[in-house]
Amino acid sequence: MFSYYLRLAWISILRHWGLSLLMICAIGLGIGATMTTVTVNYLMSANPIPHKSEQLYYVQLDSWDVNDPFDDGLNPPDQLTYTDSTNLMKAAKAFRQNVQAQAYGVIEPADKDLLPISVTARANSADFFVMFDVPFIFGSAWSAQSDLSKEQVIVLSKKINDQVFGGENSVGKTIKFDNNLFKVMGVIDDWQPKPRFYDITTGAFNESEDVFVPFSLIAEEKVRRSGNTNCWKPSGDGMAAFLAGECVWTQFWVELKSEQEKQDYMTFLNAYVQEQKQYGRFQRPMDNRLSNVMQWLENQEVVADDARMMMAMSFMFLTVCLLNTIGLLLAKFLGKASEIGLRQALGASKSTLFFQYILESACIGFAGGLLGLGLSFLGLKGIESLYGEYMQGLATLDIPMMVLAIVLALICTVIAGLYPTWRACNISPAQQLKSQ
Amino acid sequence: MLSMKNISKVFQTADIQTHALRDFNLTVNEGDFVSVTGPSGSGKTTFLNIAGLLETFTSGEFTLDGENVGSLNDNGRSKMRNHKIGFIFQSFNLIPDLNLFDNVDVPLRYRGFNAKERKKRIEENLERVGLASRMKHLPSQLSGGQQQRVAIARALATDPRFLLADEPTGNLDSEMAQGVMSLLEEINKQGTTIIMVTHDAQLAQRSPRTIQVMDGRVSELDLQLAATSQQAIA
Repeated sequence: MFSYYLRLAWISILRHWGLSLLMICAIGLGIGATMTTVTVNYLMSANPIPHKSEQLYYVQLDSWDVNDPFDDGLNPPDQLTYTDSTNLMKAAKAFRQNVQAQAYGVIEPADKDLLPISVTARANSADFFVMFDVPFIFGSAWSAQSDLSKEQVIVLSKKINDQVFGGENSVGKTIKFDNNLFKVMGVIDDWQPKPRFYDITTGAFNESEDVFVPFSLIAEEKVRRSGNTNCWKPSGDGMAAFLAGECVWTQFWVELKSEQEKQDYMTFLNAYVQEQKQYGRFQRPMDNRLSNVMQWLENQEVVADDARMMMAMSFMFLTVCLLNTIGLLLAKFLGKASEIGLRQALGASKSTLFFQYILESACIGFAGGLLGLGLSFLGLKGIESLYGEYMQGLATLDIPMMVLAIVLALICTVIAGLYPTWRACNISPAQQLKSQ
Repeated sequence: MLSMKNISKVFQTADIQTHALRDFNLTVNEGDFVSVTGPSGSGKTTFLNIAGLLETFTSGEFTLDGENVGSLNDNGRSKMRNHKIGFIFQSFNLIPDLNLFDNVDVPLRYRGFNAKERKKRIEENLERVGLASRMKHLPSQLSGGQQQRVAIARALATDPRFLLADEPTGNLDSEMAQGVMSLLEEINKQGTTIIMVTHDAQLAQRSPRTIQVMDGRVSELDLQLAATSQQAIA
């Protein structure tokens, strides 16, 4: 009977093609608007490293001004001072730890025919790659010893390796980065966590960096740092004074494998801050925090409030579209009252008729879902072109979202079809047959 | 076979009650061909709707083929309609979007026959009404008489014990009406019980038994007997 009902639905849709088209458009518009905003929210709030997001912790310490709290006292600073980061690195109390900052520079290819390339860089510790599961095509990360001995080593992105070395295995070769020769240790594959959780401060949805170099080279001024820098008191002139100052510009991540390790690390942080208080630092009440990946994304409000608002509004729009669909379905099904009466006379029970007409609603919903998918695609492209780089990578419909669009359309249309179908199935057959 | 005892039907609106049937008593035996006549508003169609389980009754007792109809739920009534009753309507009531084959197929689908059995029955019954060659035509491509023949084929496709016809010739010219009537007579001869509501006294005379409904009550006339008596007096 299922195929029979499908055939009847198809005939009915064709017969009332104008009404059907209106319903498909209404559902398509609603689903299109909803899926556009849901997709943006979904990608914004996605877990970028689900298998270990509970083990990676972002470290915050409140080193800020005692008289003028950071973020009105709601949160400690979102980055650490160089002093604290390097102290925590030296202590090495976590299973893995990574200090990092954004950097930049210029690569001068050995081939004189190629122009210099301005690149984004990340200055980080060796553990960065293993902590964040960075995939390598060639070679591997540098060692912790390289960090300590401030070796001029570099890991290239696939894009840069393609540009400079034509995609060959460049491990062991040297590359000129900011007038210094660096030895290539590895080449990573395309890697773009969404959101780019490891550094929210420089843009949760920015592209990952072109090259990666040891953090220790910043102090040596072999690498130029960039990114956000916040200071609550002036530091002196020169790099050494800046590094020793109270400006926050580094991010510090640790990998802790268990709740016990987390508690131990927090104890260590508290002891560290207590110790620093003796040197006149950390005058504010102690507020040390360890946030796992999802907590950190939530804390940093990666899903923007206006994105949530847009999603809420799109759901309201979908509701309006569905209300219109209810009206149109009601008109359509009540227009078939005589056929319904006849089918009842010929042996159809109310339940079989209900199934037949709900299936017709679902078919309209399916078509609306397909249209909605197309409109979502256009909507996302529109958002991408409106917001530019900020939305780069967020304006894509993946398979789960496509399935969700169809399922949402089907569920919404079936719900919208319940009342019209119920009304149609409760038509008195005698009255309808008489009125023919 | 069909037995109605003291059936009454009251239509209730906010202001008034309308008694469509009052103490309606009727027994129809297997193989009967009963014409139901009466003026407009007398309750003929209400009777037919109740007999066809399309409408419930307010009080009384109604048994069909030995089964108490009053106790059936919607599914039971649908099943009984599908298994035991065939309908023929004044305005044919064919589904305009479906061709003749699919129109006749409708009750068979609800009966649950397999594709082979359905095809056999559809072809047989369209053949029986002389329209086998037009199976793929839409109802709109047929004359009124042909459409009514399709409706008859549809009604017969499930081999019903009862055929309920509501003014089956009401929308046909006299020639077509006679043809449809002849078909019904032939069907009755083959054993199907027929109850036919009609305004047409001439057609009613062709059935062996006629009842008249007046003010929701039944008064039975044996028109043939009356006609014979009149001839004898003459």
